[in-house]
Amino acid sequence: MESFTNLMYGFSIALDPINLMYVFIGVFAGTLIGMLPGLGPMSALALMIPITFNLNPATGLILMAGVYYGAIFGGSTSSILLNAPGVAGTVATSFDGYPMAQKGMAGKALAIAAYASFVGGTISIIGLMFIAPLLSKVAVSFGPAEYFALMVLGLTAVVSLSDKSLVKGLIAAIMGMMISIVGMDLQTGTERYTFGSIELLEGINFLVVALGIFALAEVFYMLLSGNKSTPKRNAIGSLKLSMAEVKDMAAPVGRSSVLGFFTGVLPGAGATIGSFLGYSMEKRLAKDGDTFGKGNIKGVAAPESANNAACGGSFVPLLTLGVPGSGTTAVLLGALLVMGVTPGPMMLEQRPDVFWGVIASMYIGNIFLLVLNLPLIPYIAKILDAPRPLLLSLILIFCMVGVYGLSFSSFDLVLLLAFGLIGLVMRLYGFPAAPMILGLILGALMEESMRRALQISGGDWSIFIDKPISLVLLIIAALSLGLPVVKKMIQKARA
Amino acid sequence: MKIRSKTPLKALACFSATLALSASMVTTSFASDWTPSRAVEYIAPANPGGGWDTLVRTTANVIRSENLSDVNYAAINVPGGGGAVAWAQIARDSRNDHKLFATSPPIILVPLAGTSRFNHTDFTPVARLITDYSIVLVREDSPYQSITDLFDAIGENPRVSIGGGSAAGSMDHISIAGAAAASGLNAASVNYIAFSGGGEAMTSLLGGHVDAVITGAGEASAQLQGGELRALGVSAPERIPGLDVPTYQEQGLDYTFDIWRGVMAPKDISEDALRYYEDLFARMMETDSWAEATERLGWLDAYQGSEEFGEFLDEQLEQFRAVLGDLGLLRN
Repeated sequence: MESFTNLMYGFSIALDPINLMYVFIGVFAGTLIGMLPGLGPMSALALMIPITFNLNPATGLILMAGVYYGAIFGGSTSSILLNAPGVAGTVATSFDGYPMAQKGMAGKALAIAAYASFVGGTISIIGLMFIAPLLSKVAVSFGPAEYFALMVLGLTAVVSLSDKSLVKGLIAAIMGMMISIVGMDLQTGTERYTFGSIELLEGINFLVVALGIFALAEVFYMLLSGNKSTPKRNAIGSLKLSMAEVKDMAAPVGRSSVLGFFTGVLPGAGATIGSFLGYSMEKRLAKDGDTFGKGNIKGVAAPESANNAACGGSFVPLLTLGVPGSGTTAVLLGALLVMGVTPGPMMLEQRPDVFWGVIASMYIGNIFLLVLNLPLIPYIAKILDAPRPLLLSLILIFCMVGVYGLSFSSFDLVLLLAFGLIGLVMRLYGFPAAPMILGLILGALMEESMRRALQISGGDWSIFIDKPISLVLLIIAALSLGLPVVKKMIQKARA
Repeated sequence: MKIRSKTPLKALACFSATLALSASMVTTSFASDWTPSRAVEYIAPANPGGGWDTLVRTTANVIRSENLSDVNYAAINVPGGGGAVAWAQIARDSRNDHKLFATSPPIILVPLAGTSRFNHTDFTPVARLITDYSIVLVREDSPYQSITDLFDAIGENPRVSIGGGSAAGSMDHISIAGAAAASGLNAASVNYIAFSGGGEAMTSLLGGHVDAVITGAGEASAQLQGGELRALGVSAPERIPGLDVPTYQEQGLDYTFDIWRGVMAPKDISEDALRYYEDLFARMMETDSWAEATERLGWLDAYQGSEEFGEFLDEQLEQFRAVLGDLGLLRN
């Protein structure tokens, strides 16, 4: 019961009125910033850095952690209502969340996102509390070869994400992968597809593409299609879930939370990959898998629980190994160092107040988030009642502000526009956007890990099957591609 | 002469204190009567959270809390191109006496790699402030006990892999390739594995996927305390206080590598402004708040005034050019 004693100690810190106030400020600020498209946890955390300069480390981390998971929590709102993902981790939420909102079930979609986020967040805190030191072993067991295999597995989701034509899905995925390698190549320092532009040296930001081909393309599409294609939007619908719906979602939420947590633990994988894996896993497992992408409640619940669980998981390498697994946790690490705390293997012994205080504060923060978000849903969803010209301009402004805020570069705004047009063309000709986003997320990571692995092995490809984890992941990938085909063949043979 | 303070006496006291301090510390600088007339734009050429950003925010904070200047030093992030976007902007702003930016080896490396048109000669060096050193880590169960063991192994087996947290041709790679060259190996024989961050490189080492990792000594201290890793050597000229790791030189390898950080201004700023800033940072480094900040962040003071810093940068340019040439990564 040592964990329990430690947790009680953690609560004694987290329930301190000052810390309680900072949890509240953190999750409130985080959830607000997360709701704005383009302003993700990273910018939210950066805004908080000056404040944390003068706080004690436990309070500072409680605040920053609150902002981080608050932003992930709030990120689903704009995905669902406007098809404009607030953070990279909520792109998958828009696949079914936005169709639900268009069918007049915005309230329900937002409520599901809130509950699923809460469950995912809470499950990940439990994991963080009990098995964090153990999990740090899992995190280090993933080397370049294992990452490559994981990315291959992730890419198999293209099949489930391309709804009508697999060929068009593959084309979109490959386009995404090509976009992902724009910039300076890490292994050789060579510039690829930069055309001599320094703006492209660090590559194209994921959110520029996501906001372009989802939100902006949607705006263009609505403008082109005039009034007829848009259904009456004024119905927000009920927030209440039926017993059957809760039962239907319980298993997907549970599975995706665990999956998301483990992806979060792996440095470099994180919330975005976690949410995509969760989504495609549930789409395959569901009996009504073909309704995914058209407003299936499980399609909202799965990625939302996965991305929030991944956020908790990302604290594992940060706190137990002292290594940041993502850009966002790197900002967190920087802030911790400034406050005089060095996360790492010794942190549990040296600063138990910070470690356990933060974990306890996450339980409280998650409850705050649920209580804060649920009553707000009807008001926030009212944005859909806005007259269409106003709504469209609002989406445009959100996207532009968000993209400009990424790196204060007007060049990114031009890119946003370009991707908006690309998205529109894709939509008109039936190319699905989701596989492109998946290719974009996985492409560069997959290529880098493959080349790293080969560099380590001296060019020997057997490294991918010699390593057990890599082998297992590759087999799962092969099975998930092969089984549906075999199934179909058997069905045909029987018929 | 423009003294903006409302109490002349206090200003005078400050003034004489400045004089005394700077005279005792930096012979080249003298207290000028120039002071900034508005807020100073203080640019970190990267996103928040990185090394440049931390330097900008920490120094701005110390200047404010110690009342070293009447004006605000406003931290501004201009990310992109590994610094190139900010440099291009600042290069267009020559003669601006109210602009500063944080700098470190990439200002030399990035132009050499051909991805920035501007290098340190397009700006005014103000002061070098701090330094860190490279440290080479292996797992506790590694057969290598010293830096020479590692280089001997590389000589025999080119597959021995050394991970680092930045791209090929950037600081970590130059540091280890230069050390290998100093030990008699071909710089290009180092199998450098570029990870997209120091964290990923470190987990790869912990999991035994790479044989060694090169990183900053400041970042490595927490990992070393954990006892799972061992340090083979550090690139400092003498042992770093509080870090019980032998230097390369102690192990018979005549090589040092500084991961320095400093402050620069646009080209052709006024001589008076340059003296003012040079002196400001010298005074800043004498304060208690600075001592406390460097202690927290594991920074080592390495002050150089404008002229000395400029000469140092020219030397660095030649050193880096040679290593990049050996690596076949020189493009400019």
